[in-house]
Amino acid sequence: MATPGGPRPGNLPPNYNPNSIADNLHNLQINRPNQPPYPGNGPRGPPPAFGQQPNSQSQPFPSSGPYSSSPFSGPSRPGPPPPGVAPRGAGPPSSGPPHGSMPPFMAANRPTGGGGGGTSSSNAPPMPASRPLTSGPLPSSAPVGPPGPFASSPLTSGPPGPPPNVGGGSMSNGPPTFGSQSMQGGPQYPSANVRPRPSTGPPPAPQTMSSFLGGPADNQPRGPVPPFSAPPRGMQPPTGPPPFSAQGQGAPHPQGSPFGAQPWQMQSRQNAPPPPISGSAQPPRMFGMPPPLPNQQSMATISPATGPSGNAVSGPSKIDPNQIPRPVPSSSVLLHETRQGNQANPPPPATSEFIARDTGNCSPRYMRSTINQIPCTSDLLNTSGMQLALLVQPLALPHPSEEPIQIVDFGEGGPVRCSRCKGYINPFMKFVDQGRRFICNFCGFTDETPRDYQCNLGPDGRRRDADERPELCRGTVEFVATREFLVRDPMPAVFFFLIDVSMNAVQTGATAGACSAISRVIADLPEGPRTFVGIATFDSTVHFYNLKRALQQPLMLIVPDVEDVYTPLQTDVVVPLSECRQHLDLLLESIPTMFQNNKTADSAFGAGMKAAFLAMKSTGGKLLVFQSVLPSVGIAALSAREAEGRTNISAGDKEPHRLLQPVDKTMKTMAIEFAEYQVSVDVFITTQSYVDIASISVIPKTTGGKIYYYHPFSALSDPAKLYNDLRWNVTRPQGFEAVMRVRCSQGLQVQEYSGNFCKRIPTDVDLPAVDCDKSIMVTLKHDDKLPDGTECSFQCAILYTTIYGQRRIRVSTLSLPCTTMLSNLFRSADLDTQFSCFLKQAANEISSAPLLQVRDRVTDLCINILHSYRKFCATVSSSGQLILPEALKLLPLYTLALIKSIGLRTDGRIDDRSFWINYVSALSVQLAIPLVYPRMMSIHDLNSKEMDGSVIPSPIPLSSEHVSDDGIYLLENGEDCLIYIGSSVDPDITQKLFGISSASEIPSQFVLEQYDNPLSKRLHEVVNEIRSQRCNYLRLRLCKKGDPSGMMFFSYMVEDKSSNGLSYVEFLVHVHRQIQSKMT
Amino acid sequence: MAEFLDLETQDAVRMPWNVLPGTKQEAAQCVIPISAIYTPIKPLPNTTPLLPYSPLRCRNCRSVLNPFSIVDFSTKIWICSFCLHRNHFPLQYQQSISEDNLPAELFHQYTTIEYEPQNERPTSQVIPQVFFFVVDTCMIEEEIGYLRSGLSRVIGEIPENSLVGLITFGRYVCVHELGFFGKIPKVYVFNGTKEITKDQVLEQMGFFLKKPRPATGVVAGVRDGLSQESISRFLLPAAECEFALNSVLDELQKDPWPVPADQRAPRCTGTALTVAAHLLGVCVPGSGARIMAFLGGPATEGPGSIVSKALSEPIRSHKDLDKDDAPYFHKAVKLYEGLTKQLIHQGHVLDVFACALDQVGVAELKIAVEKTGGLVVLAESFGHSVFKDSLLRVFQSGDNDLGLSSNGIFEVNFSKDIKIQGVLGPCASLEKKGPLCSDTTIGQGGTTAWKMCGLDKSTSLCLIFDIVKKENPDIGYECIWLASGTSIDLLHIICSSYQHSNGQMRLRATTLSRRWVTGPEKIQASLFDLIAGFDQEAAAVVMGRLVSFKMETEAEFDPIRWLDKSLIHLCSRFGDYQKDSPSSFVLSPRLAIIPQFVFNLRRSQFVQVFNNSPDETAYFRMVMNRENVANSVVMIQPSLISYAFNSGAEPALLDVASIAADRILLLDSYFTVVVFAQLLQAPLDDANAIVKERFPVPRVVICDQHGSQARFLLAKLNPSATYNSDAPPTPGGDVLFTDDVSFEIFLDHLQRLAVQ
Repeated sequence: MATPGGPRPGNLPPNYNPNSIADNLHNLQINRPNQPPYPGNGPRGPPPAFGQQPNSQSQPFPSSGPYSSSPFSGPSRPGPPPPGVAPRGAGPPSSGPPHGSMPPFMAANRPTGGGGGGTSSSNAPPMPASRPLTSGPLPSSAPVGPPGPFASSPLTSGPPGPPPNVGGGSMSNGPPTFGSQSMQGGPQYPSANVRPRPSTGPPPAPQTMSSFLGGPADNQPRGPVPPFSAPPRGMQPPTGPPPFSAQGQGAPHPQGSPFGAQPWQMQSRQNAPPPPISGSAQPPRMFGMPPPLPNQQSMATISPATGPSGNAVSGPSKIDPNQIPRPVPSSSVLLHETRQGNQANPPPPATSEFIARDTGNCSPRYMRSTINQIPCTSDLLNTSGMQLALLVQPLALPHPSEEPIQIVDFGEGGPVRCSRCKGYINPFMKFVDQGRRFICNFCGFTDETPRDYQCNLGPDGRRRDADERPELCRGTVEFVATREFLVRDPMPAVFFFLIDVSMNAVQTGATAGACSAISRVIADLPEGPRTFVGIATFDSTVHFYNLKRALQQPLMLIVPDVEDVYTPLQTDVVVPLSECRQHLDLLLESIPTMFQNNKTADSAFGAGMKAAFLAMKSTGGKLLVFQSVLPSVGIAALSAREAEGRTNISAGDKEPHRLLQPVDKTMKTMAIEFAEYQVSVDVFITTQSYVDIASISVIPKTTGGKIYYYHPFSALSDPAKLYNDLRWNVTRPQGFEAVMRVRCSQGLQVQEYSGNFCKRIPTDVDLPAVDCDKSIMVTLKHDDKLPDGTECSFQCAILYTTIYGQRRIRVSTLSLPCTTMLSNLFRSADLDTQFSCFLKQAANEISSAPLLQVRDRVTDLCINILHSYRKFCATVSSSGQLILPEALKLLPLYTLALIKSIGLRTDGRIDDRSFWINYVSALSVQLAIPLVYPRMMSIHDLNSKEMDGSVIPSPIPLSSEHVSDDGIYLLENGEDCLIYIGSSVDPDITQKLFGISSASEIPSQFVLEQYDNPLSKRLHEVVNEIRSQRCNYLRLRLCKKGDPSGMMFFSYMVEDKSSNGLSYVEFLVHVHRQIQSKMT
Repeated sequence: MAEFLDLETQDAVRMPWNVLPGTKQEAAQCVIPISAIYTPIKPLPNTTPLLPYSPLRCRNCRSVLNPFSIVDFSTKIWICSFCLHRNHFPLQYQQSISEDNLPAELFHQYTTIEYEPQNERPTSQVIPQVFFFVVDTCMIEEEIGYLRSGLSRVIGEIPENSLVGLITFGRYVCVHELGFFGKIPKVYVFNGTKEITKDQVLEQMGFFLKKPRPATGVVAGVRDGLSQESISRFLLPAAECEFALNSVLDELQKDPWPVPADQRAPRCTGTALTVAAHLLGVCVPGSGARIMAFLGGPATEGPGSIVSKALSEPIRSHKDLDKDDAPYFHKAVKLYEGLTKQLIHQGHVLDVFACALDQVGVAELKIAVEKTGGLVVLAESFGHSVFKDSLLRVFQSGDNDLGLSSNGIFEVNFSKDIKIQGVLGPCASLEKKGPLCSDTTIGQGGTTAWKMCGLDKSTSLCLIFDIVKKENPDIGYECIWLASGTSIDLLHIICSSYQHSNGQMRLRATTLSRRWVTGPEKIQASLFDLIAGFDQEAAAVVMGRLVSFKMETEAEFDPIRWLDKSLIHLCSRFGDYQKDSPSSFVLSPRLAIIPQFVFNLRRSQFVQVFNNSPDETAYFRMVMNRENVANSVVMIQPSLISYAFNSGAEPALLDVASIAADRILLLDSYFTVVVFAQLLQAPLDDANAIVKERFPVPRVVICDQHGSQARFLLAKLNPSATYNSDAPPTPGGDVLFTDDVSFEIFLDHLQRLAVQ
């Protein structure tokens, strides 16, 4: 494979100092290097130093013509289809006529889905197949899936198959456990892999700083764009080459170390001497890199304004709002090798689309660090103001073009481990003494190599078989668990659905929605004897259903005692799916009618969960709860605390808001018990009112589940999302009864884990269920000094049971260099990861600290980091300049957005805030940024825009200046999607898009329908693409000026000045002033 | 004897002493208490009319106009025979009554007469009989199958308008909604380990969903705030729920909770019965309803359990109970006492059909069954005919129907010389205390009114009286009575307002009069009179009930000793002998067989608990306590009939000597009918005849001499020839392997002791 021998950092020209440009540009006022162009802007003139990036202004996710129609090329995001887009991707059942109750949207798509992807999507569990469906109008051209449910498993389908180097003796490439592993395989992706676009290089990381200097707005320097990027784009990808054969694309494929992390080494602490070459150096390594400008020091000169008088008014005026840093999405797929030249390669931004190649370190999808070099001492870390943490997403969804994770079976003996710290064998264990012994990279202990695992060492000190053994050459491998990892037989896949049938739920259509969703999702569950299903409903009592096949029809078993519940039967309420399909269909069909006259307003939510838990206690499994009202009776009943909350809302600023804390310990106690028996709870809240999410969320949070929130639930527009959420929930790659531990090298230790899990002993986290979307934050602390010049390793091992009942240990190892230089820390800072950590920590604090304090802390964190950089790393320049480290140049923007986010605002509904807090808790890095800084784009002009290969139009800054009355805008944050219709939009456009002639006709409940015109089709493509990227069926809402929906839309305009905070420019001024005052 | 039977036919009463001793002291010397065995709803002779109006009651003492009342036709006034209060006849009587035109209740032959007041309740409001099945499911599949077929057989027999409900239970209590009409069938599942209150039942079973709960007051039934709709989820006319019931029964499964090999199945009998009682209390309080429990094993879960789940722990035995070493017993009894109270309050009956090789807890349940007048059947298996046929009998109509009635209230009124100590039998005190109550109480005492939630044609109560005439009675007073020739006492027995099986309320009044004898100066005469009025069978039955009651209630009670002493005292008082000369001892024919009854009673299962489990003993006693005299006598002293080829059936001595080569024997010991050597059809036919009219249906044993089943016969025979007798058995005869004394020896001892 490409690089091993490639240029090492060391080899790089020493002159490669990022700062150089900064110096050159010092005098410019404000530069907005990578600002995405506004619509209508022509290509900007390239900055002198860098080549123009032709497609820089195109959408971040280019979709070039030829591909746009192909399902596979379009979606730049590897993510599996948001389940939704291709509703029910045509599993066998779907081929029928659209379900009557289906919202139009879904109905529209279904047939298409059914056509092409038919077979492929039916095999839900293996994700890959369903992926192609993402783009709504599924081509029937399907190169897609080989038929058959498991067709997409790498073994059967993918030409790429197991990589050639697989065949190590002891290692075997097991059957695909679930889709994620097989993802890459399918032949269906070639087009995606070989996306002709020059894979725009790994983004910003390499450069330590970029300076954005005030300059003319219209011709800012664009990001350096490799000259070649344009041509290849049009090329049809060669189908032959393996996914990574980027060379085929012609140009720049990184022979050399593409993403010059290397320069850092060179860089000394002084940022001073900017070698001239910067410009020339760039193209090769940066090819296709849109976003950040390399080697620049970001600074904003706002001195005049703030300096003298603090007259804020004048200050901002000097700053061109168009020049200040804003995120620029990478517009094409990046290719990332995790290690190059025996050096860790800094990962691409989490929000970009990339294809990782595991060359020793694990892919950044599975584990990424806030800083890609590890400070040797805690003092150094403290000085930087940054924090050291890992974000671990052990089952993250790989890109379809990535190699599957290899499965290694060590047979009876189990995986080789360090006998002292129990660390798993990994590429960084050093074999010595002719391979007879090895030194653990975590604890330093020297172990005997097991006799049958011995192998001679080559001249380079590596084992001769290192390249054949995945565990010795891959950052992530999966071991087959042996007996010693089993306390019982691996559990079957148990899905228990618990549905609210109280009066409110039935009348709002929530019950019908849930039943229809479940009914359809059941078709997607893996067939076979290991899949068990149970159903219960609840109002003021809990109703189980005996689904035993021998019965003529299901039998309802009512558990009336909701203070002390029990399961009415030990068997027969949870039954193998294959034995109860008919009963299930019948039952789910009749539940809504059965309860249609239900007058019970009470809801025994807690009791229902407890009862369901008892029913599945013997095995564990997933409990999916659909709930619509505040739990009012039985175990863990709640009261409408919101009413009291309104009266003393003023106290909210001084002390933590009580309503954001769980009301008592009942739920927590239950949750711990659930977790102990491997029951994971997901709660789908389909409500119109307050349900006290703060209390309820304890259960999913502790059991590795999630809250889904549909407020206010609409029977018209929400069932589609409900179905898609549910479908993704049960079909995504996931594991059960998992235990995870992170180990790190001596000198560091894990301080704390944070996420959705249960923790019983300090070192491990218990995850009754874990899936590809869940991430866990692991904060680290020094307990010793790390030696300079060595590497420090982190290993995340997760023992889990696959949905097919195999016990596996997935081990991801990351080894990062240690450094004693502060500037290295700033240069290798990972903004996305760091900000995710801020976000999660802030969310954790909201319920326990006064809001003001949380906001101040967030701001202070930002200021401290920038201050440290300014003080210790920035070149000496006039004090009037705000200098930002290139890697962290968006930190102020994100910090501002965070302060204005739902969770940190006072004006939001309590449940919205609680939900936000809970949502953040397990949020992955790639979704953290959009949550606080959503993506907005105009859609009224979709047709007129040149898309340059991307389906999604380029984003617009979140400022009301960019929202005009005659436009229609779409804003999405990974969870919700708002469509704002200006008040004077061309009626023709609204007619085309929504079937209405003006904004005033906007219905309160909205279902996006596809009309027969290009504009509408384009909008669908865009929406589907977004859904696919986010792995989420975003909820669509129409907003218009002057009503609450419009207010909500504008509350996302984080760059505006509002009651919740300063404008972006003002905030920069504020930060700058704070830094200045610290400096003095 | 015959005259006693005639009296019984007329008034349904048997009394050991039909002539009453005149003073308390004399009564005490009679040994056997002054008592009466009354069968409240024994069918009356066909000639007795059923009066279609309400009885006329004394305004003072509430007793009913009867043939002994003095009627003044001119003033249209009647004088109450008990309190001598003068009552005016109401208008409708006044118009027609005259010496020639008497209403039926004043006819002398109608001392017992029945009223069925019309129009008291419109027919539409008549609540039909309710049958609530409570079915155990912790059994092996085979037993479940038997039970299922047994139940399905009777479902067709249930009267169409009778309401039916169903609970199945094992570890949990499942209340089945039978009114689901095409929807998914529903079952309410209650935790068997918890006590459940009536309020919980109301709340948790959704009785207030459509109709808010009344703010105050007791909630029960349609009249008091429940919608018919919510009730008819659980209780439906048999005609409407037959399909549902059958489909539930078809799918009746063994309780699915796994049972470890070393454990008993979890069975929450107590909770199931409680829930059933609550539900009936909520839905149909006050109207006739039967909880029919089908139990297949011991209760092990929740309140009311009788033993722990561990099989290593045996179920309590008589010995454990005697030593007070049965940790679960008292708790369970306490639960059932509470349940009993509730059922009585609601007027509902508990029937138990216990079919298991093991004990199921009948001993604990006894109180509830007995006080509510429930039926009890004990068998080894649900497949056994004892169970199957008995169950069928319950629902059978026709000649042999049980005449199941409900909600009886039984009241007594007396002349002032008599008081009541109490009642032994299936009824419950209504705690209506009055001057007629004696200071000493026995059984259900301290009251003059009793509730009989359930009763049938043969249900018999044993009333025990106290004579309170003064020791030295006022001569003049006495003379008046004698002179007027009315030396009679009046017992007025009213069985009022029972719900006949046709749903109508009926009232029956029985007025008895018996003669007094008294006067120490006329000892011989009075003794003669007393003997003449002595009913040995009734006496034996009273003794049987009394000894059972004492065994259950008196600690350290020695029944054998008590029986022997009583018999000796009786014999020495009423026998004819010269002191200290055993050979001179002669008993009047009126007393001739009482020693034999006592001898057999001593050997019966009512007294001998050895070899019987507490459940069996409880069962036997319950049955005896509710049966009439004739049946009870058979239980105490089985009848033996011998058949020969050349002669018809003739009674044989209950003696081992009756076994002979050429004889076929038919033993009827009530619970078992034994045909010994089946060679003829006649004994079989007779056995079948017995089976037909008996409840519980007896076990029929057909056996041969020396066969293992012959033990059912041999155990009952008088051991006149045992293995260590001197004389060898007659050819074709048999000897018994027992050390028990034979009747001859018993009689010898009796004579010796009586004359001392």
